[in-house]
Amino acid sequence: MSSLKNNVLVIIVIAVIVVVLTITYKPASPPQRLIIATTTSTVDTGLLDYLKPYFDSRFNANMTWLYLGTGQALEVASRGDADVLLVHDRVREDAFVSSGNGTLRVTVMYNDFVIIGPPSDPAGARGTNATEAMAKIAQAGVGGNAVFVSRGDNSGTNALEKRLWTKAGVSASGTWYVSTGSGMAPTIRVANEKGGYTISDRGSFYKLRSTMNTTLSLVIVCENDTSLLNPYGIILLNSTKYQNIKYDLATDFLLFMVSKQGQSLIGNFTVDGKQLFFPVYGQPESIGLPSENSTVTYLNSLLKSRGLE
Amino acid sequence: MGGFEIIVEGFARALQILFSGDQEILGITLLSLRVSLTATLLGAAFGIPIGFLVARKDFHGKSVVTTVINTLMGLPPVVVGLVVYLFLSSSGPLGFLRLLYTPEAMIIAQMILTFPIVCGITISSILSLNPKLKETLVSLSAPSSWEARVLLNESRLGLITALIAAFGAAISEVGAIMMVGGNLLGYTRALTTAIMLYTNMGEFATAIALGIILLLIAFGVNLFLTYLQMRSRVRRTT
Repeated sequence: MSSLKNNVLVIIVIAVIVVVLTITYKPASPPQRLIIATTTSTVDTGLLDYLKPYFDSRFNANMTWLYLGTGQALEVASRGDADVLLVHDRVREDAFVSSGNGTLRVTVMYNDFVIIGPPSDPAGARGTNATEAMAKIAQAGVGGNAVFVSRGDNSGTNALEKRLWTKAGVSASGTWYVSTGSGMAPTIRVANEKGGYTISDRGSFYKLRSTMNTTLSLVIVCENDTSLLNPYGIILLNSTKYQNIKYDLATDFLLFMVSKQGQSLIGNFTVDGKQLFFPVYGQPESIGLPSENSTVTYLNSLLKSRGLE
Repeated sequence: MGGFEIIVEGFARALQILFSGDQEILGITLLSLRVSLTATLLGAAFGIPIGFLVARKDFHGKSVVTTVINTLMGLPPVVVGLVVYLFLSSSGPLGFLRLLYTPEAMIIAQMILTFPIVCGITISSILSLNPKLKETLVSLSAPSSWEARVLLNESRLGLITALIAAFGAAISEVGAIMMVGGNLLGYTRALTTAIMLYTNMGEFATAIALGIILLLIAFGVNLFLTYLQMRSRVRRTT
């Protein structure tokens, strides 16, 4: 009986020591934690890791992020579980704001989507526009000569893909259509293994290519089409509805991203010497998007009053 | 780079990380240990007494309760994560506790996973004790606290197995702590969620390195538990 007592005692003592040690270890007690709900591309490319030290030191903050698809990011934010949104699906972003969950949305940067596929291009998608490329992939797919790998996760990329299928008049289903239900990088890897086509934002594709080197054989088969434009927006949440969020810090983050410093940092971020995101605050017209004049005027006055221009 | 080279590089990176004392990875490792050990202990604190009661008492529906507990041993972590998330979410019933995306939320989620494991194994190890032992205790009209001590002591091998299984489930699970912890850098990022992130980013070697660190930790904890198990087995036979 004493052996049980001893054993239990030893386990408890050691466990308590470990727990106390690990509790007292504080990884540099954070000032104020900002939680950004964002898409996989801003994390996978390393953009947020790159911006974090600049934002943290300037605003005495601790910038963290939830790594989600746009669909899940909007859902989590609508439950009040994040402080600010950085996402890329204009249609759902606008719906989010107009339903009263968000108060302000502004375009901060863009890149573009590319259709990638095996170098042999069995569908003959090269040299066509995005809609034709998708139609050709579907056609080759039905004939058993191609595979399309979809995110299938309600992300911004997934939403764009669905719009392209609709435009191409294709009902995307069948054995040629594979849905991974996961993030961009895993989806590209599945496409790579299957020798299939997929749509990726250019940033995620370049980043994965730089880490996977020659093991990633997929190449870009279609690019530079206006329907492949990928603008990223920041949404401030409704602080009346979500009283627990860090609204002021979220505003700081928005102002930082649209300030001269933030915009030039975004423009200077490169992977393997390639620029992945293009700052576009204040001039969405330049990439064919509707003007955001009133929002921009308001934000500019905030920037001015905060001395952040 | 071929698969094998990446694994070799992962080993090299693991050694490099272990010897360089990388602060970020040290923090991630300690968080994993703290969350999973606490969840295992809490799971045991509830699981052993409840398991004992279920095994010892005769009541209506005992086999149903036992079956339910045994089924819950296979709870999918991601479902536990989703349910705990919905409870702790700002707009959830326990949102006022402000526990979402904290290490405490991760402990709660893992405790829900470890509890049925400890409880189920406790039930089976007590039920598998020699019935003569129980008869003897009854014939001696031993007080119930005395009876509990004897029976738990006799089933200590099984109880340690329960701890080993529960800790193994906790330290290796990713779905639950991803949902309720949020994988926030420097705060709720644990070994398994970091492995998933690095894998997604295509940094396979780092992911393998973290996997090796995770295995080393699990090995260390199990070494200790197995030592206790062996020691108690030796005592029992002498």
